[in-house]
Amino acid sequence: MINLWAYLGISFILFICGIMVMIARKNIIALLLGVELILNAAALNFAAYTKFSNGNLDGHIMSLFIIIIAAAESAVGLGIVIRFFQLRESIHIDDASTLQN
Amino acid sequence: MNNSTVVSYFSQSNEFIHVHAWLSKALGFDATSLMAFVIFAVIALIIVGAMATIGGLGTYAERKISADLQARMGPNRVGPFGLLQFLADGVKMIMKEDIITTNADKFTFNLAPVLCMVGVFATLAVVPYSSGFILADLNVGIFYLVGMASLVGVGVFLGGYASNSKWSMLGGMRGASQIISYEIPATISIIAIVLLAGGLSMKTLVGAQGGLPHEWFLFHNPFAFMAFFVYFIAGLAETNRAPFDLPEAESELVSGYHTEYSGMKFGLFALAEYIEIFVVCGVAVALFLGGYKVPFDLGSGAMLVEKLGLDSMLSQNIGQLLELGAFVSKTLVLYYVVIWVRWTLPRLRVDQLMTLCWKYLTPIALFNLIGCAVWMYAFNGKSIFTLIFSAAASGHGGH
Amino acid sequence: MFSNTLFLLSAVLTVAGALMVVYTKNLMHACIYLLASFFGIAGLYACLGADFLAATQLVVYAGGVIILMLFAIMLTGGTGNKVNRYGLEKIPAMGNKKTYFTAGFTAIVSALILVKITMSAMSGNPAVANLTNEPTVERLGTILATDHILAFEISSVLLLGALVGAAVISRPRKEIHD
Repeated sequence: MINLWAYLGISFILFICGIMVMIARKNIIALLLGVELILNAAALNFAAYTKFSNGNLDGHIMSLFIIIIAAAESAVGLGIVIRFFQLRESIHIDDASTLQN
Repeated sequence: MNNSTVVSYFSQSNEFIHVHAWLSKALGFDATSLMAFVIFAVIALIIVGAMATIGGLGTYAERKISADLQARMGPNRVGPFGLLQFLADGVKMIMKEDIITTNADKFTFNLAPVLCMVGVFATLAVVPYSSGFILADLNVGIFYLVGMASLVGVGVFLGGYASNSKWSMLGGMRGASQIISYEIPATISIIAIVLLAGGLSMKTLVGAQGGLPHEWFLFHNPFAFMAFFVYFIAGLAETNRAPFDLPEAESELVSGYHTEYSGMKFGLFALAEYIEIFVVCGVAVALFLGGYKVPFDLGSGAMLVEKLGLDSMLSQNIGQLLELGAFVSKTLVLYYVVIWVRWTLPRLRVDQLMTLCWKYLTPIALFNLIGCAVWMYAFNGKSIFTLIFSAAASGHGGH
Repeated sequence: MFSNTLFLLSAVLTVAGALMVVYTKNLMHACIYLLASFFGIAGLYACLGADFLAATQLVVYAGGVIILMLFAIMLTGGTGNKVNRYGLEKIPAMGNKKTYFTAGFTAIVSALILVKITMSAMSGNPAVANLTNEPTVERLGTILATDHILAFEISSVLLLGALVGAAVISRPRKEIHD
């Protein structure tokens, strides 16, 4: 009953949800939530392929690095959001439309 | 299922085999997983009940010990020596009106105490009470415990946010920043011990130590000795205990993140705090103070069979009880130290708190980690007492 | 039977959490649903026999990322500014019907394209489950310290850079007098 397709389906739903959040929302923190969902979908895929196609653990290593990247990305991203809010009093993505000041 | 849980311990007994054969015959299929499920459910219920009692008795002990330190009497009306005071308090909390403030975010407000409870109770699954009495000996045990314990931070933070009150919000933000900051020295100290034992599972960590104090990781080398204190201080801060009880500092924030909570929701926060202290002390015991190990290999029961000629299952049970007693008594001694510290030391300021974490504890913990690694490399994993004994023996032999 | 139940529970938690992240209009609630989804994913990793990944997921996401997100929400909330700097009315920060329609349409189209592209590569490859659930911690550690040592070191440098960068970016600066 539980085969590769079940995991791929879940990861697919996660990916679509992430894409929808990123397109529909205009809040920068909400966009970061969407990015986390997409990264998790990718990591889940790697782990699922490791289990169902070959036994070596390179897929797990990839998932681990994806988690590391996600943590670093969210730390820096949220730092930028907080700084942006200090400058502009807003976290609306449309307010981030100039390169200087 | 690997051979390391409470089910595998019970499955050695004759009764298990009889019941298993009878059930398989009656139901018409192999009843192993059904019985495993039932045993897990019963043991989990027992552990949750026992831990809730220990949490309740923790409040009683806190009041009694503080009274003792301040030359008062403490609760002494309900039951013998006031022992049943916590039951009376629990009944009072359940009977109280459950107030949700008007502008509170109801979903989050109701979720926050539950998250605290879930985080704490989920960690109980990997706490090694004795060599047979451990719910799940995951091979990532200590790592899982660190992850689950961090759920408490989310609960504290959400509790502060959802109350829609300035005091709660300040308390919640302080609590969350404190918990995620002090997780770093605590985790690095744990990693130093993982390095010494060579595994993440709780059984590996405890099994690498011995029953007598000189075999404990606490006295394995000077760095592990320091790591214990770093872990203990960070654990105090993670459980929001004094001198780090900034999130619920009565003199500045009325009662911190649970100002607006009443009734059993407040009770859940308090219970989660007291059980988390038990878990932190239990982990400190398991990692540094020899865990459930009893001296002279009494825990396995082999000695009882040999010397007294007892039945092997019975002597194993006696060994398990001895191990349980060793673990619980060491943990309760640390629990006493925690309460003692709370009623002795004054509270830190917020900036002092962060300075202590980032400028002192984290560098010391990193230094301990590197020191442990160098020690393992230089002395081939031998403890300092082994080195001293062997040096003494060889010096003696030289004459 | 145990693993099937665990899989079903985790799958329901993951999918429901992700859908609720899309559905809810409250950013704080979205974070909590995201936490539920991450817990479900940790359960899925456990089903896949990836015990170390499951624990890492718990530690990094529940303990780190979600609390960071909650902090960011707390530190940035509270502006009722409905127009942007050119005086035009903004789209609400959590989206309206139009943006959701666009997003749903894009999602469906990209889903169809993805399925169409990847189907040929997948259908010819019968997946055989590797059913043994061995502990992976030791093997992972060995691989990380031998085959993937360069990636490991680079990721440690990346994390150090992220730590310093986040501290520098979000540190309160001295007021520039203007």
